[in-house]
Amino acid sequence: MKRTLLLALLAWGLLGVGAAGAQEAYVIGATGAMTGPAAANFAPVLEAMKAYVDNLNAKGGVNGKPVQMLVLDDSGEPSKAAANAKKLIAQDRVLMLVSSSPSSTYAPLVVESKRAGVPLYYAGAVCPKETYPPADALQFCSTAYGATLDSQAALAFVKAQSKEPVRIGFATMAIPIARAEIEYAEQLAKTLGMTAVDTQITPPPVPDYTPFATKLKDANPNWVYSWSPWVSQVRTFEALRRLGWNGRYITWAHLNAEEELARLKDDTFYVVGTNAFFQDNLPIHAEIRATTQKAGLKYPATYLAEGFIAGLVAETALKNTSWPPTPAKVVGAMNNLKVDLKGLRGGPLEWTPDNHFRTTQYYRVWHWDSAKQAIIQIQDWQAIPVKR
Amino acid sequence: MQLAVNIVVLASIYALICCGYVLIYRVSRVVSLAHGELMLLGAYALYATASLFSGHPLVAIAVAALLAVVLGALVYVLLMRHLTGEMVLAAVLTTIALGILLRGAMVLVWGAQEQHPLHTLGWQNVALAVGPTAKVSAVGLTLVLATAAVYLGLWVFLRRTRWGIRMRAVGQNPLLAAQRGIGLHGIYALAWSLATFTGGLVGMLIASDSALDQGMVVIGLKAFPAALVGGLDSLLGTLIGALIVATAEVLLIHYVNPLLSDVVPFLVLLATLIVRPWGLRGTREELDRV
Repeated sequence: MKRTLLLALLAWGLLGVGAAGAQEAYVIGATGAMTGPAAANFAPVLEAMKAYVDNLNAKGGVNGKPVQMLVLDDSGEPSKAAANAKKLIAQDRVLMLVSSSPSSTYAPLVVESKRAGVPLYYAGAVCPKETYPPADALQFCSTAYGATLDSQAALAFVKAQSKEPVRIGFATMAIPIARAEIEYAEQLAKTLGMTAVDTQITPPPVPDYTPFATKLKDANPNWVYSWSPWVSQVRTFEALRRLGWNGRYITWAHLNAEEELARLKDDTFYVVGTNAFFQDNLPIHAEIRATTQKAGLKYPATYLAEGFIAGLVAETALKNTSWPPTPAKVVGAMNNLKVDLKGLRGGPLEWTPDNHFRTTQYYRVWHWDSAKQAIIQIQDWQAIPVKR
Repeated sequence: MQLAVNIVVLASIYALICCGYVLIYRVSRVVSLAHGELMLLGAYALYATASLFSGHPLVAIAVAALLAVVLGALVYVLLMRHLTGEMVLAAVLTTIALGILLRGAMVLVWGAQEQHPLHTLGWQNVALAVGPTAKVSAVGLTLVLATAAVYLGLWVFLRRTRWGIRMRAVGQNPLLAAQRGIGLHGIYALAWSLATFTGGLVGMLIASDSALDQGMVVIGLKAFPAALVGGLDSLLGTLIGALIVATAEVLLIHYVNPLLSDVVPFLVLLATLIVRPWGLRGTREELDRV
């Protein structure tokens, strides 16, 4: 009996100490597609963010307190994301819920976030329209790609590069956000005087992209624009090339764009993006490389800029949150946030009470140059203000 | 002409994938729902050996193929063997669990990053002309030839060799076969080895033609209707089923709507199930036993 009582007291004491320990840290929780078909797009972001936070703690944390980051896998499935959100909010009492998963998981996260008044921060996951002005009170996003703005930047580049009339084809994947963006791009192309010749929408995943590329090639475009997950973007392009298509292709620069440009070595394959390439060799790039090595991450350092941006954002938001922290205080800090991204993007990331996306989006365009045997930046930062 | 080439390549992919489903089913009545994961594992095996035997691509391919054969035998010996005599449903559920386990293990070992085994092997997937207007990728052509070789090889094996005849006997009546002295476990292990080899082979080829990523698991399941259309216990039926599904898919992508490609295999399957539930060349009795 004595022994049981002692054990119970010991367990209670340990739990008590654990809870007190948790209270002494800023706790944030993430749910992401760490496994499953979509993991390649999302897992590197959370792994890099976690490595950033670990590094931050090694340097003393934020405001003298450590940051505890909990990461749960949802495999890109809404039901798992819902369970993760419930656990992180109700059990772990996180101050901020981070999502890096496909948009199909958003609905349950939004419900849980609203119920508890905990901010929902999309890092590496596509920014929903609720983060654009006028923004939802609890949803924030730092992910590089942004609907409508990306197509504006890409098609402006196409127009600037073309002396001849533009016959443009479109390629995307059969997921709602990507289809909506390509529909927007089709309309935008027409207003810019281009002729939209065909749109290919591939289901995820496809064993062979050639049947889709065949139809696109038959429409005889001199440009193709693609905005979707990398797999669909690049495989449609490769299938087009194997069919003998010689036109120009522009697409979104996902996490692996820098490595892929070097692999493809195609002069007229362009990528448009908002994150600086590692070939710039900025001090922050050296920091990312060092942290990656220290943490023993499986991904190349070039995949991890997006996760570091998320780390910088979380650090700044928590730094502006006075102790003891509450979700409401974190929301207050996130509503007036300016993060120095140290050159990872064209300018700082700014959130206002009305704009939880960013006030200005900056774009660069790169391609492979065979003569120089290197990736060349063909267009430097072009700023697009984000308005209502 | 290009459409015909596209149909042949896609049909070859489906036929080579379905070959594994049929081999296991016709011998043991088990539908392996871990086939997509075994395909993916075969592709990762190639990626691993390509890195290991850098500069020796043929050695890398041979070792990866051997690993697939051994893996299939191990799956049977370590896992499926213990379910012999149990309900077929239990074995099917076990394959689902195996698939989940393999998926998690592969992410742990290799991460979720897209890989390019062909690039690692130091080869290029060049385009080859087929007639005056059509083209096929070198890996696409290899896929077609590999499918032909596998089916021809299996036909000879099942018809002309002692082990092949034993395998057919076990598939038809395992009790009688055992009473005649045929070792059931050896035959089942052989079926799993062959199925994992063909699955691994198609995984390696798809990964070489495009890239290696986690989506391959879904491709494994997407091909399954082709096996059902042809008849789950008939290799010839599977070839026909793959050709029908691929033809419908490619033509609808080109002439109607690319979005239909995802549902076409299942539409063809539904139509077949209404007219001939046991598949075009399947055995009616076998279906009743499922």
